[in-house]
Amino acid sequence: MTSNSAPAADYAGVPLPEVQILTNRLLNADTVERVLNALDVIPGIRQINMTGESIPRNINSGPAKGLPNNHTEHKVIHVGGREVELRYLVGGFYIELEVEDEEELDARLEEIKAACNENIEHGYTLQVGRYSKYKPTLHDYRSA
Amino acid sequence: MVAYKRQFYPGSSVPARNRQRYMNPKVKLKKLRDVAMDDVVRIMGHRNPGEDYKSIHPPIEEGKEPDCPIRKLVVPIEGAKHGDRVRYIQFTDSVYFAPISPYQRAWMYLSRYRGVDTGTLSGRQIIEVRERDLEVMAKEMIDNETFDPALTGIRGATVHGHACRLDEHGLMFDGWQRYVWDDEKKEVVYVKDQVAIPLDRRISVGKPAAMSDLKKRTTIFRADGVDMRDDKEVTMYGLRIHKLRTLGGYQPWKVKGE
Repeated sequence: MTSNSAPAADYAGVPLPEVQILTNRLLNADTVERVLNALDVIPGIRQINMTGESIPRNINSGPAKGLPNNHTEHKVIHVGGREVELRYLVGGFYIELEVEDEEELDARLEEIKAACNENIEHGYTLQVGRYSKYKPTLHDYRSA
Repeated sequence: MVAYKRQFYPGSSVPARNRQRYMNPKVKLKKLRDVAMDDVVRIMGHRNPGEDYKSIHPPIEEGKEPDCPIRKLVVPIEGAKHGDRVRYIQFTDSVYFAPISPYQRAWMYLSRYRGVDTGTLSGRQIIEVRERDLEVMAKEMIDNETFDPALTGIRGATVHGHACRLDEHGLMFDGWQRYVWDDEKKEVVYVKDQVAIPLDRRISVGKPAAMSDLKKRTTIFRADGVDMRDDKEVTMYGLRIHKLRTLGGYQPWKVKGE
């Protein structure tokens, strides 16, 4: 999930490393806010995408269709002074890093791990790789 | 012919034993909580507490039934006697060691109750019964050991969540948040009925069980719990059915001595 207020980052054109963090539990909105604010101060982070389970704003089917859902975790959080509307119960982060070499990557990873260890109570798995597209492919050139 | 004693389910591992217990109608299941009948009625949302049961046909005692040998043979359940509507309750069971899972619910329902229609899906199990019988069964099923406040959901529609990770309080995910965590009492509280219409009062269904307790109560085989392959008899039973139906399908002459 990307923030509504920010434009999507342009393609870097090169496969910058991405850190995949999958949490063992789905996180409350407050925890996501704390994690993001802890990550926000780390230099070299190009963008953060989040994923999780969708929380609809309104009840989307059944006899209660159309009623407000009033889910306590569907709310606006504040990250680095900006408002981000959470529409998911977040369970994963994809952090794209702009680094020059492996040494710098390792340094950033340590900082990211420290931020996560402090804020994610029930643990997580962390991997480095490339999990999203970084350059246009055939799909991007097809006609509508 | 040898008189066999009904085994219900093969195996001697913890999940296998639990399956046998839940299915055996002679075993009285432990009552772990007491949710008031009126609250059960509210959570199901088919009628208001105290309201009369709506009927779809006149009471059987009025004698307007056609002359039918089967109708004479079968003793009607209470709801059928009164001509009640058929209503439902649907449970969602988490894969994280919920006390029971949908398929065993079907086995249990059919083994323990009369006059029910049940349907199994991957994460949920619906049971349809005449209304007044349903209420009695629903209360039993919410009160007894097959229910866990955190890992069993009462969800009439949009059941998504049984295979999702739990949330930070250990509750199964529900996009409609029919139940919330009460941090003061450390209990699970229903705030919406099973189709997510807000309730006019909060209904507590008690404290979730500890994971160590759930692992003793569950019917779920899992690699990080009891692996199905570690229970020889269960494995052989699965393999035997697989072999017989495969052979029966395309080389039935090879099925010998069964």
